Amino acid sequence: MSVNITTLDERTRVTSEADSALDTEEYFVNMGPQHPATHGVLRMVLKLDGETIKEVIPVLGYIHRSIEKICEHSTYRQIVHLTDRMDYLSSIMNNWAVSLTVEKAANIELTERIEYIRTIVAELERIHSHQVAWGVMGMDLGAFTPFLYGFRDRELVTDILEETIGARLTMNYIQPGGVMFDIHPNFVKKVKEYIAYFRPKLDEYEDLMSGNPIIQQRLRDVGTMDGETALSYGATGPVLRASRVPYDLRKIEPYGVYGKADFNVAIGTAGDCWDRYYVRIEEMRQSIRIIEQLIDNIPEGKFMVKKPAVKIKVPEGRYYGHVETARGVLGVFIVSQGKDIPYRMYFRTPNFHNLWCTTAIAPGGRIGDLVAITASLDLVIPDIDR
Amino acid sequence: MGLVKKEEYAFDTMPGVDVVLTKIDYVVNWARSNSLWPLTFGTSCCAIEMLMATGGPRHDLARFGAEVTRPSPRQADLLILAGTIVKRMAPRLRTLYDQMAEPRYVIATGACTISGGPFLYHSYSTIRGADEIIPVDVYVPGCPPRPESLLHGLLTLQKLIKEGQTIRKPGVRHKPVISEIPEGVSREDITAEMVELLEHDSVVNIEETLGNLERPTGI
Amino acid sequence: MTTEELFQVITELEPSAKQSEKTSDRPTVEVPPEALVALMQKLRDDPRLSFNMLLAHTAVDWLEERLFEMVYQLYSPQNQQYLAVLVYVPRNNPVVPTISSIWRIAEFQEREVYDLLGVLYDEHPDLRRLFLEDDWTGFPLRKSYQDDFILERPK
Ligand code: SF4
Repeated sequence: MSVNITTLDERTRVTSEADSALDTEEYFVNMGPQHPATHGVLRMVLKLDGETIKEVIPVLGYIHRSIEKICEHSTYRQIVHLTDRMDYLSSIMNNWAVSLTVEKAANIELTERIEYIRTIVAELERIHSHQVAWGVMGMDLGAFTPFLYGFRDRELVTDILEETIGARLTMNYIQPGGVMFDIHPNFVKKVKEYIAYFRPKLDEYEDLMSGNPIIQQRLRDVGTMDGETALSYGATGPVLRASRVPYDLRKIEPYGVYGKADFNVAIGTAGDCWDRYYVRIEEMRQSIRIIEQLIDNIPEGKFMVKKPAVKIKVPEGRYYGHVETARGVLGVFIVSQGKDIPYRMYFRTPNFHNLWCTTAIAPGGRIGDLVAITASLDLVIPDIDR
Repeated sequence: MGLVKKEEYAFDTMPGVDVVLTKIDYVVNWARSNSLWPLTFGTSCCAIEMLMATGGPRHDLARFGAEVTRPSPRQADLLILAGTIVKRMAPRLRTLYDQMAEPRYVIATGACTISGGPFLYHSYSTIRGADEIIPVDVYVPGCPPRPESLLHGLLTLQKLIKEGQTIRKPGVRHKPVISEIPEGVSREDITAEMVELLEHDSVVNIEETLGNLERPTGI
Repeated sequence: MTTEELFQVITELEPSAKQSEKTSDRPTVEVPPEALVALMQKLRDDPRLSFNMLLAHTAVDWLEERLFEMVYQLYSPQNQQYLAVLVYVPRNNPVVPTISSIWRIAEFQEREVYDLLGVLYDEHPDLRRLFLEDDWTGFPLRKSYQDDFILERPK
C-alpha cells in the first residue's frame, strides 16, 4: 500500500529534474489565473522546452465557491438558482438537469406544454452559448470582429429570453414541476423572426471565420484527440462528438420533446480544434431546425404543476440524472433522506471533465496552440470549480 | 469653448478677454475621468455581462472612453471586479491591485463582490465582499447587473474622479451582515435598519454630493 | 441487455460483487474495496459489457454509520446501459484503490474526492489538493467539518 500526498511545489520540482538528461533547458511558466485567453481564472503551469509544451498542469480552485456544501443546506428550489452560476452560458439547461432529476425521483408528472417550452428555450440558449463560444474563439485567435458579430446576435436572443424570463444570463427559469413563468405573448412571433434573421447570419459567420486561411492554419491538425482518449478523459458534448463519438443525450435518451424533433447529431472526423469549432457551427444549424419544428406546436396547458410555495420532498435513495448542455453532459447526483433538502449533492460538470483533455493533447504543441485548444474546448471556469 | 460651458464651475473666464483660468488639478482629473483603462478581471458569471456584453456592440463601453481593456494590471487604472472572489483568489487580487498604476479606481459589480451574493451562507471559501481586500469606489448591484448599470456606475465614477472624491482607504463602509440574531430583535427590525443604512450610506446621491462641494472661485 | 442479465454477467466476472439493496434509480452493485480494480477492468474490457465511460465518481459521507460510500457511475454506449458501483470504506481509515489506470479521468475525479472529503487513494500517481490550497486543514464536504469562517443562514 502506498498513499503519497504531494503538493504543487513538489510536483513542479520533481518533473523539472526528471528529464535533466536532455541538453536543452526546461522551465516552468505560469499561465493564469489572470490571463485573458483562459476565459476566467484558470491557471495552467506549463513545462516548456523552448516554445514547445512538455506538460500542462492545470491548477484549479480560483473560483471554487463551495456550491455542493451550500446545496446540503438548501431546498431543491433554492439549488436550482445555484446551478445558474456554474455554467452560466447554459443556465437553463443546468436548471433542467436538477429539475429533471428531482421530478423523476419525486414522481412529478409534467404537461406537454412544459416540455415544449423547456426544449425551445434550451435550444435558444444553446444557440447563444455557441455564439459566445464562436466570438470568443475568434478573439483568442486574434480577430476581434467575430466577437462583435457574436455578441450582436446574442443580444437578440437575450432580448427574447428576457421578455419571458426577466433575466439576461442567470435565468433560474426551469423549476422542479414546470417553468417559472408562462411564455410571453410575443414569444412565438419573436422566435420566428429571430430564426429568419439568424439563418443568413450563420452563413456570414462562416464567410468571416471558417474560410479564413489563418484560422484554418491555427485550427487544423492542432490538438488532435481520438475517440478513445476522449472517452477515457471523460469528455462529452462537442468535444467528444468532434472525436467521432456520436454521444448526444438528446438523441440516445431523449428528454423533453427532443424525441419528436427531427435533427442530426454533428460529429467530426479528425478530432482537432477545427472539428470542435465546426461541430458548434453545425449544432447551431440543428438547434434552429429543432426550434422551427416545435415553435408552432406548443400545446395549451399548465406551465407549472406545483405551487411555488410547496417544498418538494424527494424520497430516500440515490438519484442520478443528466442533460446535454451546450458544453456536454451535466450530471446531477442526489442522495436524499426523504427531506426537502438533499443529504449530498454532486454535480458532474462537463467542463471539469473536458478540461483534462488539455493534459493529453497540448504536450508536443506550441504555446500558441494551447490558446487555440482551450478556446476550442470552450471552457467555463466556474463550472469546473463549482 | 464648449468645455467651458459644460464644466462651468471649474473655469473662470476673465471678463473682456478670451482667457480661461482654471486649476490644473481639475483639468488633470477631468482628463483622467475620460480616459479610464480597465483591467480585464472577470472571474465568473458577471464577466459575461460586465466585460463582454458591455464591451460588445450594443452597449459599447467605448462611448465613455473606457474601452481600452488591458490584460496587464500595469497598463490599467480601473479595476472592474466582475465575479465572485474566493479565498484562493484573494491574495492574487490584492497583487493585481497593487500592481496597477496610481491613481487607480475600483468598481465592484454584482452581489458577489458586494457581499458574497448567493454564496454568502454556508460557504467555506467565498469572500464576503471585495472591500475586505481592496478599497472600492463604486458598487454596482445586481446578479448580474445589467450592462446599463455598469455604464451608470462608470458615469458615477467619472463624476467622483472629477471631484477628487475616490476612496483609497479600506473599511470605509460598514456592512450589515447578519450572522446571529440577538434576542428581542426581529428580522423586520433588521431589514428596516438595513434599508435605512443603505439609503444613508451606500447610495451616492451625485447631485447632492456635487452641490455640497466647494467650487473654485478664480485665483 | 436487461438488468437481470447484467447482474448475471457481473457476478460471473467478479463473484464478490453483489446487487445492492440500496434504493437507487440505476442498476447498482456493491463490491469490496479489494475487488474494485479487477471488477472495473473487466467491466470496461468485457465485450458483452464495454462500460467505457466513467461518467462520475464521488463519495458520500455517512456520519452515523461511520462509512464513506464511494460512487462510480458508468455508462456503456454499446448497450446504452448505466451502472452504479458502490464501495464502502470505514470512515476512520478511508483508503480505496485507485482506478486511474483504467480511466484517465479517474485520476482527477479522485483528487477532487480527496480534496473535499479526505478519502485516500492507494497507488494514486499524483494525489494532491485540487480546489483548495495545499496548506488547507480539514475536508470541507465531510459532515463533521468545522470552520469559523462559515456563516449560517438565519432561520
Ligand atoms: S453577482 Fe451573481 S452573476 Fe455576478 S458573479 Fe456573483 S453569482 Fe455570478
